[in-house]
Amino acid sequence: MKNKRFNLFLIAVVTLVSIWSLIPTWQDYMYTKQLESFGTSRDSLSYAMSHRDDIENARKKSLKLGLDLKGGMHLVMEVDQVDLFEQKAWNKDAKFFSIMDLVRKNAAASDARVIDLIASEFRKENIPLSRYFYDIRNSDKEIIDKLQKESDDALSRAKEIIRNRIDQYGVAEPVITTQGSRKIIIELPGVSDENRVRNLLKGTAKLEFRLLREPEVLLRTLDRINTYLAQNGSTVTSLPVKADTTASPAPVSNAAAVPAVPAVPAAPAAPAAPAANVAGQSSKPLYDLVGINQYGVPVTTAQSRDFVSALFHRADIMALLPPDTELLISAKPDDYGSKTQKFYTIYLVRKTPELTGGVITEAKATFGSQGVQPEVLMSMNSEGTSKWARITGANIGKRVAIVLDGAVYSAPVVQSKIPNGNSVINGIESLEEAKDLEIVLKAGALPAPVRITEERTVGPSLGADYIRAGMLSLLWAFVAVSGFMLFYYKKAGIAADIALVLNILIVLSVLAGFNASLSLPGIAGIVLTIGMAVDANVLIYERVREELAEGKSIAGAVSQGYDRAFSSILDSHVTTLVAAFLLYTYGIGPIQGFAVTLMIGTSASLFTAIVVTREIFEGLLGKNQLNDKSFG
Amino acid sequence: MRIFSKTNFNFIGHRKIAYGISIVLLLSGFISFAIKGLNYGIDFRGGSEVVIRFEKDIDVSTVRGALDGAGVSGSLKQYGMDRSFLLSMVFKGDTGELKPLLDNALTSRIPGNRHEIVRIDAVGPSIAADLKWSAVKALIASLFAILLYVGFRFEIKFASAGVVAIFHDILSVLGLFSILGGLFEFMPLEMDQSIIAAFLTIAGYSITDTVVVYDRIRERIRGQKPSDYERIFNESMNQTLSRTVITSGTVLLSVLVLFIFAGPAIRGFAFAVFMGILVGTYSSIFVAAPLVFDWLRLSKSAVRLRGGQKNS
Repeated sequence: MKNKRFNLFLIAVVTLVSIWSLIPTWQDYMYTKQLESFGTSRDSLSYAMSHRDDIENARKKSLKLGLDLKGGMHLVMEVDQVDLFEQKAWNKDAKFFSIMDLVRKNAAASDARVIDLIASEFRKENIPLSRYFYDIRNSDKEIIDKLQKESDDALSRAKEIIRNRIDQYGVAEPVITTQGSRKIIIELPGVSDENRVRNLLKGTAKLEFRLLREPEVLLRTLDRINTYLAQNGSTVTSLPVKADTTASPAPVSNAAAVPAVPAVPAAPAAPAAPAANVAGQSSKPLYDLVGINQYGVPVTTAQSRDFVSALFHRADIMALLPPDTELLISAKPDDYGSKTQKFYTIYLVRKTPELTGGVITEAKATFGSQGVQPEVLMSMNSEGTSKWARITGANIGKRVAIVLDGAVYSAPVVQSKIPNGNSVINGIESLEEAKDLEIVLKAGALPAPVRITEERTVGPSLGADYIRAGMLSLLWAFVAVSGFMLFYYKKAGIAADIALVLNILIVLSVLAGFNASLSLPGIAGIVLTIGMAVDANVLIYERVREELAEGKSIAGAVSQGYDRAFSSILDSHVTTLVAAFLLYTYGIGPIQGFAVTLMIGTSASLFTAIVVTREIFEGLLGKNQLNDKSFG
Repeated sequence: MRIFSKTNFNFIGHRKIAYGISIVLLLSGFISFAIKGLNYGIDFRGGSEVVIRFEKDIDVSTVRGALDGAGVSGSLKQYGMDRSFLLSMVFKGDTGELKPLLDNALTSRIPGNRHEIVRIDAVGPSIAADLKWSAVKALIASLFAILLYVGFRFEIKFASAGVVAIFHDILSVLGLFSILGGLFEFMPLEMDQSIIAAFLTIAGYSITDTVVVYDRIRERIRGQKPSDYERIFNESMNQTLSRTVITSGTVLLSVLVLFIFAGPAIRGFAFAVFMGILVGTYSSIFVAAPLVFDWLRLSKSAVRLRGGQKNS
């Protein structure tokens, strides 16, 4: 008797807790409806203001909808560990780079730890890791451990920086988690400007101040590259310029221009013949893509920019450059007085930066002195300030390039020593872009480049469709299954249906209580649970019918039915739980939502179908409301 | 009401026919798999998919023409919903340029019919490899865990036959996916993450169904002579038949609802689960239990079973 009272108590508590934890969801729904019902936006705003706390509270505790139902962005970003490890290495030579290139290829195709890939490649070549990493006395194992620690640090730092960027941009309830050793998963509900978010996230924000080399050196270097390419002509043929783009401006030509003679006639001469077709045989492979304009500045066009940039970073080309230099291209195009075309400027800069973005303490987007050009003002910490003063003092009259993520934003001439640690980035197209730069500079640079490797975006209208479809499925599945139970088992079916309602309530309340979100696959999990949860009742009822057929009394049959069905209910539920749990463990994102609802539903049905229905039958038996016909 | 009141089917006697049916089913799936292979979705092959929805009815060729004209390469087909199209193409790490490109192309070339890009999915090749690998891990791990649990609760013969039945069910559905893949416009039957979820659901359901039959056998076989096994197996299966059919029925009902109402994103999943439950119900009666029976018969040993009720 005492046990029975405990069961009743337990059922009451579970029911109340379930309902209680779903109240905020109901309130949130009602508030939303209320707000939508107002005729003018002013009415709804004033209502929202007067009930602000209640609304916020309800929203915070309500059942969250997943990205697919609400609309939003799901991104998986990968930290480029190969790049990170390259940064950590020293006395890098050609051998090192060739091995790392191999590792990069392998890493793209496999899920193995990058550090293991590196170790195995070095072992194949019989080179100890200590030749390039840390101390010569370190064993391979020590180095692997150290590097792994570096990469774990890098991942968590990258996550923090990305979180900072997103927080500053302002997204409600972002979810940022790491997965494995190199992935960051970012969920941004309700983002409308996906492009901006993408740009905000993917940049490394590595800011560098680098000295420019003299223009003559730059022109001589380009000459040398041109000659080299002409001799090894075939290497440039793979131009990404499509044949059908001939109508658009072809790469700057300089049929008439002799390089290194600055006073070439007005910028681009007549567009060259399709560069793609002739590049292979051309005697001026580089100068088909790069022109020298009337100011004696080497430039390239938007179409050729990526290709030229890749060319400048080829190992054989980099070997032709003066020591400790690098060819970079401007971030933004300049029209150089031309009305029809825009050009990207090519710079030759020192490879070793004078100063890096680590010294930046404050960044602010504003308009420049003329009030039209957006720019970002930066100030530095004391260490950076003194360095900056020394650098500017020593290089008056020279140019310093401000480089962000490998692209030159501007390259002003140092007019005088700058003692206060201020600097400015200009050459920015819009205030919005300046604001984004401010965000990424403040958040700090990522320890290594990150790439977007997976992106799923759902628009809000599709989300609304999904909700409608999910709700319809839930409703119809419930009607069909509960209707069948009533039809087939008569009175006992009512008990099973009550258990089913409680089961759905429990699933939803657990999701709300644990702040999990409901996605479309999650709804599918609930729908499937509706079909499976009655299984326990079916097992019991069929057993009760058998016992009745053997001539037992109704009370005896019910009791035997529950006892005997128990072992198969337990075994069958455990196996379903095992499958759902492993799906949760190895699944990703949406599939986990399905696994979670299936797990909660299956566990809950152990309680609802066994304990709850039994209490109902005990109660009915006590009142003599149950007879042989009650089980259909 | 009763569907089966007192059945007396000779399941064990006819098991050879059932084995034949299963072998034909598996073989045809296998042949199709070898010749035609599977239709992989972007989850497993990598790539980009865009769903575009128009305000008014529009012909697929019109949209295709507009996209071709703008130099967008990729395949376009009708998507399961009204006036929606699915454009699939190779993976582009930066979908940032894709959206404005599509927007411009469609706005300028199809004026007077507003469109909306409702979904963009892009999966890189490394992620696709990861997803494939974790799917395989999940399947193997769950089969192993089920083998352990059933082996612990019953006996290794029962557990092995149960796992064979799971394989049977999953491979049958996989074969169906290969045979029917790409035949229907409303359900492309592509292998993606949700199908893996379906397989694990099928695995869970198949063993659930099998365990119920086993449980009855366990209850009745204790202390019986091996010569009585055929009768006991048959009776146990007949006694649980009603439950087996009804539970399958309720699950099939809810999956059918999913198939009809839950939209194109869930349709492949619903189809897989529906077929898996049909095959799983069949296999627990016609594959799992008969295999145990044959095994017991050939090994000529009596069963020693764990678990079950003490009071029976």
